[in-house]
Amino acid sequence: MIYFEDVEPGTVRETGTKTVTADEIIAFAREFDPQYFHLDAEAAKDSMFGGLVASGWHTASMTMRLMVDSFVGDTASIGSPGFDDLRWLKPVRPGDTIRVRSTVLDKSPSQRRPEIGSVRFRTEALNQRGEVVMSLTSIGLYRRRPSAG
Amino acid sequence: MTGVSRLYWDDFRAGQAFELGSRTVSKEEIVRFARAFDPQPFHVDEAAAQRYPYGGLIASGWHTASMVMRMFVDGLLAERAPSMGSPGVDELRWLKPVRPGDTVTLTLHVVETRASRSKPDRGLVIVRHELRNQSGETVMTMLSKGFFPRRPAGAAA
Repeated sequence: MIYFEDVEPGTVRETGTKTVTADEIIAFAREFDPQYFHLDAEAAKDSMFGGLVASGWHTASMTMRLMVDSFVGDTASIGSPGFDDLRWLKPVRPGDTIRVRSTVLDKSPSQRRPEIGSVRFRTEALNQRGEVVMSLTSIGLYRRRPSAG
Repeated sequence: MTGVSRLYWDDFRAGQAFELGSRTVSKEEIVRFARAFDPQPFHVDEAAAQRYPYGGLIASGWHTASMVMRMFVDGLLAERAPSMGSPGVDELRWLKPVRPGDTVTLTLHVVETRASRSKPDRGLVIVRHELRNQSGETVMTMLSKGFFPRRPAGAAA
């Protein structure tokens, strides 16, 4: 179990992979981001993307799933207050395979809540060509190691 | 698009506010989203959620953000102000949990507009999204940036 005290700035971890399908792109967009270039492959050909692309929020959500599956279970993480500097850098298209690289930037104990601490990560989603499609500065809250005795 | 006035970059001004409606989130939706995208215990299992400091099952922050996007598209981007894409968002903060049965309401505040130097057909609009629950508490805020087309010559103002 990785507690706040065990987190080391500079640590880099990578997740497994997720290949996204056109059906998944359309299903997410129907519910959360019904702009035409996320819904209709034909119409999307005339868009700035030249074809069907995933909603940036779908890419972000897939990124979260990959991180939960690969790392969060090992840790005393209790959630996140938010994030900064999210950038959607390259389109994500049907058939693309995403993986996530997470680099610990720094950590600080909570002033108000002595039982937890806050960790910042650089989170990068990469496609199968090694291009960064999305990056953000994630913030995670971790329980501190319980005192012995 | 009858009765809906089209907004171009030129029509946005710092200080404007747009009320983009409300939606109620069910436990079923919370669990379905979390199972697909954020299966941490406090998002998928009522019993497991008791071990965390959130007082019960709560929505994934990514689900809250995705609902905000839906309301943004429905209320503005789909018909009134089609955008030319977004480079990203900044300063997203999940301030209070969103719980099953909560009704969340979105207000957009225009923070800044900037003409594009490199592309004269568009400009950038920076908006602060503010999502409140039925008790008037702010549950989420973020800054988003979007490119919008400039009004073409001859288009009605």
